Amino acid sequence: MKAKHLLIALAVLFALVVIVLPVAVIFQRAFAEGFAVWLAAVSEPETRSAIVLTVVTALIVVPVNIVFGLCAAWAIARFKFPGRRALLVVIELPFAISPIVAGLCFLLVYGAYGPVGGALQPYGIQLMFNLAGIVLVSLFVTCPFVVREVLPVLSVSGEDEERAALTLGASGWQMFRLVTVPNITWALVYGAILATARAIGEFGAVSVVSGAIRGQTMTLPLQIELLYNDYNTTGAFAAATVLALLALVTLVLRGLIALTHPVRGAAQ
Amino acid sequence: MTLQIERVSKSFDGTSAVLEDTSLTVRDGEFLALLGPSGSGKTTLLNVVSGLTRPESGRLVLDGEDITDLSAGRRRFGMVFQSYALFRHMNVADNIAFGLRVMDRSERPSKAERRERVEELLAMIDMVGFGERYPAQLSGGQRQRVAMARALAIRPRLLLLDEPFSALDAKVRRELRDSVRDLQQRVGVTTILVTHDQAEAFGIADRVAIMREGSIEQIGTPDELRAHPASPFVESFLNAA
Repeated sequence: MKAKHLLIALAVLFALVVIVLPVAVIFQRAFAEGFAVWLAAVSEPETRSAIVLTVVTALIVVPVNIVFGLCAAWAIARFKFPGRRALLVVIELPFAISPIVAGLCFLLVYGAYGPVGGALQPYGIQLMFNLAGIVLVSLFVTCPFVVREVLPVLSVSGEDEERAALTLGASGWQMFRLVTVPNITWALVYGAILATARAIGEFGAVSVVSGAIRGQTMTLPLQIELLYNDYNTTGAFAAATVLALLALVTLVLRGLIALTHPVRGAAQ
Repeated sequence: MTLQIERVSKSFDGTSAVLEDTSLTVRDGEFLALLGPSGSGKTTLLNVVSGLTRPESGRLVLDGEDITDLSAGRRRFGMVFQSYALFRHMNVADNIAFGLRVMDRSERPSKAERRERVEELLAMIDMVGFGERYPAQLSGGQRQRVAMARALAIRPRLLLLDEPFSALDAKVRRELRDSVRDLQQRVGVTTILVTHDQAEAFGIADRVAIMREGSIEQIGTPDELRAHPASPFVESFLNAA
C-alpha cells in the first residue's frame, strides 16, 4: 500500500510542478493586470497578424496532411511494393530530426541559393521567408501524424470488407467512401488533431524559414518570443494564452474522442 | 450457369499458393466443393474465379462468355468470406442491401424495392426483425447467414463460399451446412465451396474436386471418390478425415 501511495504522490507532484504550474502561471501573468489589458495586448496589430498567420498555416497544412496521410497509409497497408518499409521510415523521419535542422535543410534546398529555390528565382517565385516557406516546413514536421494514426487501424481491419465490397459491385471510389473511410474516421480525426496542435505550436523549423518580418511572417510562437525578448512580458504572456487556448481546444477534442471511442478508430 | 476454368496459372504472390495449369468445369446449378489441405491452391482458385486475383494465364468462360478480364464487380458473383467480412459500421439491413445500393443508376432498385428485397432475404435466412442490429451484436451463425443473404441479394450468377463454416462450433456448423445447402437448392445458383474439411465437402456437395499442390487431383461425386480413389493421396486424404 505504501508503495502505491508513494507512486501516486510522485506522479501527481510531477504533473503539478512540470505541467500544471507553468500553464497556470501563463494565465495568471497574462491576466495579472486585468482583462482589459489582456484584450489590448492580444489586439496589438502585430500579435493579431501572428494569430491570423498561425491559423491560416494550420488551415493549409492540416488538409494537405489528411490527404497525403490517407494516400500513404493506404498504399502502405494495402499494397506490396519495393521500398514499402523504406517509405514508412522516411515518413517518420520528421519525428527524429530536430525541427531546427529541418528548417535549415529547407533553407538550403528552397532558399534563393539552393537548387530548387535558385531555379525558381528567375521566375520571381520565392519560397522562403514568407507564407510558402512556413507552410512547407510545417508540412514537414506534421507529416507523420495522420499516417501514424491511420495505418495501424487500416492494417488490422477492413481488407476483407473492402474485397467484399468489390465483389458486390462497388467501384473503387464507392468502396473507399462507403467501407474504408467509415472504419478509419476516428483515427483520421485523431491524427488531424495532433497535426493541428503541432502546426500551431511549431517554433524551431518555422523560425529558420520565416525571416521574422514583424507583422508579416511572424507566427504566434515566434511573436511570443519576440515580445518576451522586448521585455513586453504582459504582451508575451497574453499571446501565450491564445496559443495555450488553441492547444487546450485540441486537447479537449482529443479527450472527447478518447471518451466516446475508447478504442480509437473502432467503429463499433 | 456453367463455369469453365481453362488452364489457369498463378504463381506465388506472397500470401496464397500456386496454381499450375488448372482446369475444371462447374456444371449448371451444381454444388461443387474444392477440397484440399492448406497450401493446395483452393483459395487461390476461388479468388481467381471471384476476380479478386488475376491469373497469369488461362481463361474463365461463363456460359460461353469469356469473363477473364471482367472486374470482380462486373462478374456479379456472390462471395461469402471466411471472416464473413460484414461491414461493421452498417446494420444488417444495410449490409444486405449494399450490392443493390452500389449498382449503376440505370439498374439500381428504388429505396422501397431495396427494403422489400432485404425483408425477403431476412425471411429466407430466418432472421426477420434483425435488420436494425449491427454485426457485433450477432452470433457467429447469424453473421454467417447475413453474409449469405448479402451475397444472394445481387442475384449472383455464381455463389462462392470460402470456408464459410470454419469459425463456428460443431453443432451450429451442422445446422448451417443444411440450411446453406437448402438455400442453394431453392435459389438454384451454381455454387463453389472451398473447404479443408472432408466431412463437410462430402456432406454438402454434389461433386467434390480434390486439390493438391495447385492442380485438381480427382473430381467426382462423393460416392465415386469413395469407391474409386484415383491416387494414394486421395485415399489418404479420405481416410484421414
